[in-house]
Amino acid sequence: MAETAAGGKPLSWRLIDGVDRLVAAAWPRGLHGMNGYLFLLPAVALVFILVIGLGYMVEFSLHELDLATYRLKEAYSLTNYQTFFERPVYIRVLWRSLLAAAIVTLITLVLAFPYAYLMVRTTSAATRKFLLVALFLPFFIGQVVRAYGWLIILGKEGLLNSIVTGIGLPPLDLIYNYPAVILGLVQYMLPFAVLLLTPAVAAIGEDIELASESLGATWIGTFRHVVIPMAKPGIIGAGIVVFTLTLTDFAMPEILGGGTSDFIANAIYDSYFQISNIGLGSALSIVLTLVGSALVALMLMIAGTGTLGFAERKS
Amino acid sequence: MVEIRDVSKAFGDVLAVDDASLALPKGEFLTILGPSGCGKTTLLRMIAGFIRPNAGEILINGAAVDNVPPYRRSIGMVFQRLALFPHMTAAQNVAYPLKMRGFDPVTIPDRVSEYLRLVRLDGFEKRRPQELSGGQQQRVAIARALSFSPDLLLLDEPLSALDKKLREEMQLEFRRIQQELGVTTINVTHDQREALVMSDQIVVMSEGRIQQSDSPEAVYRAPSNRFVANFIGLTAMFKGAVEVSGDGGILVRVGDTALKARAQGELGNGTAVDCALRAEQVRILDDPANGDATAFENVVTGEVRQRIFEGDRMVYEISVPALADAVLFAFDHDPLHHAEHRPQSQVKLGWNARDFFAFPSDRT
Ligand SMILES: Nc1ncnc2c1ncn2[C@@H]1O[C@H](COP(=O)(O)OP(=O)(O)O)[C@@H](O)[C@H]1O
Ligand SMILES: [Mg+2]
Repeated sequence: MAETAAGGKPLSWRLIDGVDRLVAAAWPRGLHGMNGYLFLLPAVALVFILVIGLGYMVEFSLHELDLATYRLKEAYSLTNYQTFFERPVYIRVLWRSLLAAAIVTLITLVLAFPYAYLMVRTTSAATRKFLLVALFLPFFIGQVVRAYGWLIILGKEGLLNSIVTGIGLPPLDLIYNYPAVILGLVQYMLPFAVLLLTPAVAAIGEDIELASESLGATWIGTFRHVVIPMAKPGIIGAGIVVFTLTLTDFAMPEILGGGTSDFIANAIYDSYFQISNIGLGSALSIVLTLVGSALVALMLMIAGTGTLGFAERKS
Repeated sequence: MVEIRDVSKAFGDVLAVDDASLALPKGEFLTILGPSGCGKTTLLRMIAGFIRPNAGEILINGAAVDNVPPYRRSIGMVFQRLALFPHMTAAQNVAYPLKMRGFDPVTIPDRVSEYLRLVRLDGFEKRRPQELSGGQQQRVAIARALSFSPDLLLLDEPLSALDKKLREEMQLEFRRIQQELGVTTINVTHDQREALVMSDQIVVMSEGRIQQSDSPEAVYRAPSNRFVANFIGLTAMFKGAVEVSGDGGILVRVGDTALKARAQGELGNGTAVDCALRAEQVRILDDPANGDATAFENVVTGEVRQRIFEGDRMVYEISVPALADAVLFAFDHDPLHHAEHRPQSQVKLGWNARDFFAFPSDRT
């Protein structure tokens, strides 16, 4: 028996042996084929709860608000969706969110790629450390705090304007507009994008770039034909994350837009909490979910099945 | 064709390449041979243009290439880890340099199949590198490096990751392709067998310095210093001092014994020397087929310390008390039919002065 031989074994071995025996008793060998699924349970539970919430929202969205009682009517109707399509303001808000998502994704990727590339390729340990710290620091500062940071810098009496007025010019309107929202979002998304791009760039051996160069490619050619295609899974992944995070963002348009540049999330918030129309808010949420999912599916389709590391398997 | 003049390169305090010079005529195959970390890759990368030398000059086709970027040099390179493009098929890999170098697009498909045929990969055009075996990946890498007809081919230990059998097969294959095309080639390896098998010329390197530059036979037969003697072949090294020096023939005292040796360099009486003796030149005189003691200028008796059976031969390690317990190596090339010498048994060994090198000793 193990107990008799255990005398000479390290304590940690004996502890693990004990745990193993307990596990073996609680989870018989016959069930081991299902081990993988066991680990999936928490994720499945989470998704399941989300789906329940979504189900409720679909249900709410199909009932019109009764303005007499401020309750949802019993009868099913598509009135809320009709409202969305008939009121130009909602279409405009959706369009503004989509446009921002596209612009922010593009700018963020263009800025993040060189950052990730430099961080991977630099031979100076000091540079790499600096870039890493600069990358992780923003994660400790929430989105709302960062938005207020921009207010301090760009506001009517902010840092920049105090310089502008200091040299005798009239103050500039730097916040409460669309570009300010875009700026805030790009700054917020940059670390996410860099973090997702870095492994993709690191996977490209330096030899591959040298090989390309010795085969006759300039650095632009190498970038176009080798680096970008090889980093594609990372680029698509980062693009999808930034796109969806921007599309559904609330804080930046709220704080830096100041009501001038509302996104859908702001419209949903207003429906729920300003005009207390749960039905309309739910309908807007469903529209956002559908549009977002459709676009992500489209991006994945265009990018091909090989992206995100799911290698095409040929027999 | 290629000429390197007094080239040096330092990384911080490390002198990776130290005052290296070599010259290679058109169409020849040169191998830079040396242990890991001796500066082979650095030298090769300077020729390719990835690294700039701190000093010295590199000439290709008679012109200094100091300011020529890699993509303008007509050099095909096969990397240590091959560096194939994983997102391209074999054919696309081979076509890549043709596209980048502006070949007429109409001619590209023909050229690609010509070179895939040269490396015997016709039929594998559509495979991606990860769908090919190690040997096939080597072939794609060499086809890619050659498809644009470069003036010079550089090989940075591309075979080192293969298993022995495949490696030896690919050595002959590389040599065949090189001779078929007549392309000037510089190969780099730490594998002495590979260097001896493939090359017209071998450059032995150690710690950034070129030790010897010669034909394979000359490097093997007449090592110019103790490093080369020790690095190539299975060589016993031990210390001694010159007792009597004449022209060429000298007597070296090792322990209690005076041995006839071949002087490599100026060796006056009393000079401390390093002696080098290759295993295949030592005969075990207890085997009648090896002749008798009268046929050898140096004869000693030793005790077998270890024998290593390698299938086609037995390697004996024999310590000799009369030579201050120096350890000699000796082969038996027919171990299945010859008497076995067990550890602790006494054997008589003989060798000749011409195979026994004496080099002036380093101070160490
Ligand atoms: N980029 C580099 N930075 C610093 N040291 C290097 C670099 N490349 C090579 N070295 C050093 O130079 C020496 C020679 O390296 P290398 O040319 O790669 O040797 P080999 O190819 O013969 O194994 C080694 O000591 C190595 O550590
Ligand atoms: Mg190397």
